[in-house]
Amino acid sequence: MQGRTGLWRRAPVTVIVVALILAAIAVVALLAPWISPADPARQTLIARLRPPGHTTSTMTYWLGTDELGRDLLSRIVWGARASLLVALLSVTVSLTVGTLLGMLAAWKRGWVEIAIMRFVDIMLSIPAILLAVLTVAVLGPGFGKLILVLGLTRWPRYTRVAYAQTLQVASLPYIKAAELGGAGTLRILFRHVLPNIAGPLTVVATAEFGLMILFEAGLSFLGLGIQPPQPSWGSIMSAGRQYVERAWWITLFPGACLFLLVLSVNVLGDWLRDRLDPRSRTR
Amino acid sequence: MSTDPVLAVDDVAVHFAARGGLLAPKGPPVRAVDGVTLAIAPGETLGLVGESGCGKSTLSNAVVGLVKPTRGSIKVAGQEVVGADPDALRAIRRNVQMIFQDPALSLNPRMTIGESVGEPLRVRGIASGAALRERVATLLTSVGLRPEHAARYPHQFSGGQRQRVVIARALGLEPALVVCDEPVSALDVSVRAQILNLLVDLQRRMGVAYLFVSHDLAVVRHICDRVAVMYLGRLVEVAPRDTLFGAPKHPYTLALMSAVPEPDPVRQRTRQRIVLQGDLPSPSRVPTGCAFHTRCPRATALCAQERPALTPRDDGALVACHHA
Repeated sequence: MQGRTGLWRRAPVTVIVVALILAAIAVVALLAPWISPADPARQTLIARLRPPGHTTSTMTYWLGTDELGRDLLSRIVWGARASLLVALLSVTVSLTVGTLLGMLAAWKRGWVEIAIMRFVDIMLSIPAILLAVLTVAVLGPGFGKLILVLGLTRWPRYTRVAYAQTLQVASLPYIKAAELGGAGTLRILFRHVLPNIAGPLTVVATAEFGLMILFEAGLSFLGLGIQPPQPSWGSIMSAGRQYVERAWWITLFPGACLFLLVLSVNVLGDWLRDRLDPRSRTR
Repeated sequence: MSTDPVLAVDDVAVHFAARGGLLAPKGPPVRAVDGVTLAIAPGETLGLVGESGCGKSTLSNAVVGLVKPTRGSIKVAGQEVVGADPDALRAIRRNVQMIFQDPALSLNPRMTIGESVGEPLRVRGIASGAALRERVATLLTSVGLRPEHAARYPHQFSGGQRQRVVIARALGLEPALVVCDEPVSALDVSVRAQILNLLVDLQRRMGVAYLFVSHDLAVVRHICDRVAVMYLGRLVEVAPRDTLFGAPKHPYTLALMSAVPEPDPVRQRTRQRIVLQGDLPSPSRVPTGCAFHTRCPRATALCAQERPALTPRDDGALVACHHA
């Protein structure tokens, strides 16, 4: 333990860079109403599909305009909000649901295990996007419902990982020792099992984080996600796709943002997983 | 024995159902433990020896209630383990704890050793806060560690130190019986003696009894008062240590003894090795009669038909053999 000053001690440069990128995106998303140069929904039809740097008498479009003459920079700034929030909340929902069910299946065994794991197989055999479309079609679109849909269709992946890991950990002597010591089921699951299966789950969650943003994009593209004119990175990209040969900037800039965000989350997730393991803390 | 035993195992059998395939018929059950009777007096160490797969680990898991026996009775300090509900089992486990083979896997890597050692005391409401820290410090000191080690994680210790931590956790509840499942076989030879001496020392101070499971006869000879030899789920010989090592009677015990390397090269060359023929039969197809007859150098027709009972001999040994 000697000289451990904080979480960030001896973080590699890449991790610091990546953390700064994430922080920047988060700040932009938080401060969108104040830093956005224009109203993201204001259309200027005479200034459609203008390239980055285009200047009119009223303002400069640093990242150009989209197919309805809206300022792309403002839309990306506002879109960060939607994309980040959707990804964060849906990952939280699916991670929680999936992990709990996976641990339960592996701990209880018997018919609980069969019921949960076969249900997982069923869920995984249905294309997630189809399931999401179906659910939205029944429930109707909306931000809260979008989170619910994404969260409740993506949990099986966590369940599989949590299940396999719990099975493995549950057979270890320290779990037996905890049981002999008199620890209850909840304590064993949350104090002994969960911290020791958190690593692989973190990896899944960081991978899913990027996927969630893309899923949101897909659903928004189908008109089932974030409702226009509210922007999200996914919906900007999907809308810009058909203009890509005339106006590459509409897809490139939100795409680059998305790329940076997903990459940053993955790098940071990997590092955090190692960092949170006490075995790697001191050497 | 005048005092009540801390452990009384009576005709315990543990059978595991064999899994049948979709179309394949269900196989015979695996008879891991098949009718074992033994007792341990307070403060006594009983060694349980036998080769891998003979059922000694299954039996020790049954004693602490981690495995449910198919039949028989296991009483720890007078309380019945077999069929006990979770609450009763929790109460019984105040009196019986376990030390495992691999200390690296016996401690939660994400918990400090102070948390690990203190957990049984905490979850049972025996101590908390400053009192708990004090108890943990005392326990760590008693196994030869320093109180400030409580803040460290298991990976910061050597194998021998980890096993000391495990011992401290097992003794925290002041149990009457500790089941030691091969407690030194995963350790370096150089630290084995230290851990064994620690166990002996703690026994003298606390009066705890040990069920000492091992396949290492030298270790068993060092630490045990009595020794039980197990073969294919049954006891073949139970005797006081000096009787067993001085005058082994069952052919299987003799074969085990002859497998121990002799440090003196002259005697090693001259002495007779009994090498058993064949492999340990599958516990799902235990031979008829004496389970050992398929490999026994002294087997006769009687052995294949009639199972010998454990019978007392003049020197206090119990032996299950028609010819010894």
